[in-house]
Amino acid sequence: MAHAMSQARLDGAGGDPATRDRAARQATGRPAVPGGPLAVQTWQQANVGLGQVLAALPDLRRRASGGGAGTRTAVMTLVMVIGADDDPEEGARSFRSLGGHHPCRVVVLRPDPDSTPAIDARACLWRAQAAGSDESHPVFFEEIYLRVGGQAASHLASIVGPFVLADLPVVMWFPHLLPDPADPLLRLASAVVVDTRSIGPAPDAIGHSYRTLLELANHQPVVDLSWVRLQPWRELLAGLFEPEHNRQFLPGVRLVSVRGKPGPRHMLGGWLMSQLDLRARELALEDAKHVAITLDAGYQGEEGKFEVTRDDRLRAVWAQATLSGGVSHRQGLPLPDDSLTSALSSAVANLRADRVWERALAAAAALAS
Amino acid sequence: MTGAALPVNVLAEGLDAVRRAPPGVLVVFGASGDLTHRKLLPALERLSRRRLLPAAFAVVGVARTEMSDDAFRDLMMGAIPDAGPGWAEIVKNSAYISGEYSHPDTFTALQARLKEIEEALGTGPNRTYYLATIPDVFAEVAKALGRVGLNRPGPGGSARLVIEKPFGRDRKTAHDLDAALHEVFEEAKIYRIDHYLGKETVQNVLALRFANAIFEPLWSRNYIDHVQVTVAETIGVEKRGSFYETAGALRDIVQNHVMQVLSLTLMEPPGSIDAQGIRDEKVKALRSVVVPKLADVPNVAVRAQYDSGWIEGNAVPGYRQEEGVGPKSQTETYVALKLSVDNWRWAGVPIYIRTGKRLPKRLTEVALQFKAVPHLAFPKEAATGLNPNALVMRIQPDEGVTLRFGAKVPGQAFMVRDVLMDFSYGAAFLEEPPDAYERLLLDAMVGDPTLFIRSDEVDTAWGVVQPLLDAWGHGDAPLSGYASGSWGPRPAETLIERDGRQWRTP
Repeated sequence: MAHAMSQARLDGAGGDPATRDRAARQATGRPAVPGGPLAVQTWQQANVGLGQVLAALPDLRRRASGGGAGTRTAVMTLVMVIGADDDPEEGARSFRSLGGHHPCRVVVLRPDPDSTPAIDARACLWRAQAAGSDESHPVFFEEIYLRVGGQAASHLASIVGPFVLADLPVVMWFPHLLPDPADPLLRLASAVVVDTRSIGPAPDAIGHSYRTLLELANHQPVVDLSWVRLQPWRELLAGLFEPEHNRQFLPGVRLVSVRGKPGPRHMLGGWLMSQLDLRARELALEDAKHVAITLDAGYQGEEGKFEVTRDDRLRAVWAQATLSGGVSHRQGLPLPDDSLTSALSSAVANLRADRVWERALAAAAALAS
Repeated sequence: MTGAALPVNVLAEGLDAVRRAPPGVLVVFGASGDLTHRKLLPALERLSRRRLLPAAFAVVGVARTEMSDDAFRDLMMGAIPDAGPGWAEIVKNSAYISGEYSHPDTFTALQARLKEIEEALGTGPNRTYYLATIPDVFAEVAKALGRVGLNRPGPGGSARLVIEKPFGRDRKTAHDLDAALHEVFEEAKIYRIDHYLGKETVQNVLALRFANAIFEPLWSRNYIDHVQVTVAETIGVEKRGSFYETAGALRDIVQNHVMQVLSLTLMEPPGSIDAQGIRDEKVKALRSVVVPKLADVPNVAVRAQYDSGWIEGNAVPGYRQEEGVGPKSQTETYVALKLSVDNWRWAGVPIYIRTGKRLPKRLTEVALQFKAVPHLAFPKEAATGLNPNALVMRIQPDEGVTLRFGAKVPGQAFMVRDVLMDFSYGAAFLEEPPDAYERLLLDAMVGDPTLFIRSDEVDTAWGVVQPLLDAWGHGDAPLSGYASGSWGPRPAETLIERDGRQWRTP
């Protein structure tokens, strides 16, 4: 995997001021988001050995003794891999919110092969409250940030290994990058989380990336956050065909229109092509700010229009079936306030291979090309 | 529609891991009442928010209160101030029938309305009848449904009847109710709700026992000394004094909630985790509980009533001072009970049960107290803080599992003391579990009876408590008092101390 370089360093050794300020603010005991987790102990050091970082982790818990900090409840190790130019705080809010529900050890890796060979580390112990639980059962989880400079940046598996919690799944999250299927780091992963929305708009890039992901999906479960975000559209469209009468229209779908940004519209187009066995000329993809789907279909002389659109004002998705015979259905679903956190939550709760996504991806790759 | 095979909904592939209600109608009797407003409508809205309800779905409310369709729709909207976008569509599809349950016109009107709605929505006759009424009219409503054929939906349809406890006031009235319901609905179509079974952690008792190899081998008389079941409430009878006077803790809690939790704790592993497998084993477990003899009741059961006291820093009145309660009331607000079980697994393991109102803490738990180690290798003084192991399943609040075990106190001396390994379900799983009504409503609409109580379970549970009802009805046992905010009366402590044991302090 090619990792771009940056000169970011941690507190006391230069570093990204915005990151440092945020970390310091959180270390004062105020939650990063209201009701979110609290940083209760932090430790950081530049140019460290991994042994020092590993030794710091139990120490954080000891220093935060009381209130159950000595007890680890964890269901996985979450490894987030970001580029050298990416802000480590971006996405952090999501996995911290996740920690309150789905406690995990978080390892943020920021490989920087062009910088001085050194590892700069920061570790933080967070205290979170699970939804619906009282304050007597807080959850404590560790977040470890590692900036890896020099050649070691190309050997991340050797760095992550010691931090992985035994006997629990390891989820590798690539928020902005698409991993190289041959990267040894992936051998540690029980599942890989990506976001196809982060792929640029060029059709060639989309096609190539999708094919890369398909290769990756041959080896291990891949969860695509973009696909998870599109679930309300898919659910609502499928829901329109639940009534038996409407179901009869499915074999008679004549024209499908998918509007949206590149990426999401390709994925939904690929999904509909593969599930409905459509030909490319029966599918129209159009550029739009928000995703919308329209299916025109007929059954025994009756016409049906099946639509799913987004309502920006209500932050909701609506589905409507209008049949010339008079029956119509309408259903709405709210969209989550924080789509990244919600999608990540859903992703880590369903770390399984998704054959429907794989078929959609293959069809979408062909569409993009 | 032609007779051609229905196409598969290929768009639902991959989305069908989640169970969703099929297109249909939920008919709620008692639609203008408190249960509908407080529990059912919010549960339906949450289901709609999670898209567990289909687009073709409607609620038809039936009640005596005069109300127009629009007024009922306003009531549905008003019940959920921050409803999701899908709720308004369900409300729009919904309708209301006002009328007496004793009047045939009510049901003729319902029949016509259902046909109209089903045609408009394009659904088959998939109907779930929820009786959110007083239990006295259960049989009447069921018979009236039968008279107009609403219990027989025809090919491709379904008709299920959902009723909520109490299922009778004693064993005989429970029999009578069942007989009346069975005239109209076969047993498989009757869904008896005990909302305790809808709680995620009650179901987790099954997961803990049967998804883990380490607990089940210990789950028997070989290692367990005794079992304690506690269902404690801090509240009194609030505004329900007159209702509670007709019930009491034995009917309100022990016959249903406690027996359900107990049967899940005692049951043998089922062949499969499905409705028949689980319910068969639950009934077998309950049948193994030794029914106390009438003469033994004073030795195995204690009943009591709360006096005034202090709860969470507030002075509270005694039960007899509550609204709707007579000054000489003999209704128990507390029950302590010792049961035994005659089967291979549990022979000789006493089961201690206590439930009460105005106790210091709100909680429900099942504690398995293990036997002490056969030989303590340490000097006595090294183990003064050591008790036998205990595995506690906390059902509410803060659902979880706690294991008490001995650990060495750090230092030069070899001292051991109890420590707790405390697991909280809320801390380990992503989703906030669905509310019990949400779960049970969906199960009823989907047609999964696993978490509903079968007729023979109800009967067996009544069989266990019937001698207590009889003895207490004859005044054969004294009614003790206990201060609000305490863990119960002195005789309850004596009940367990006689056996050389103590109640836990949860």
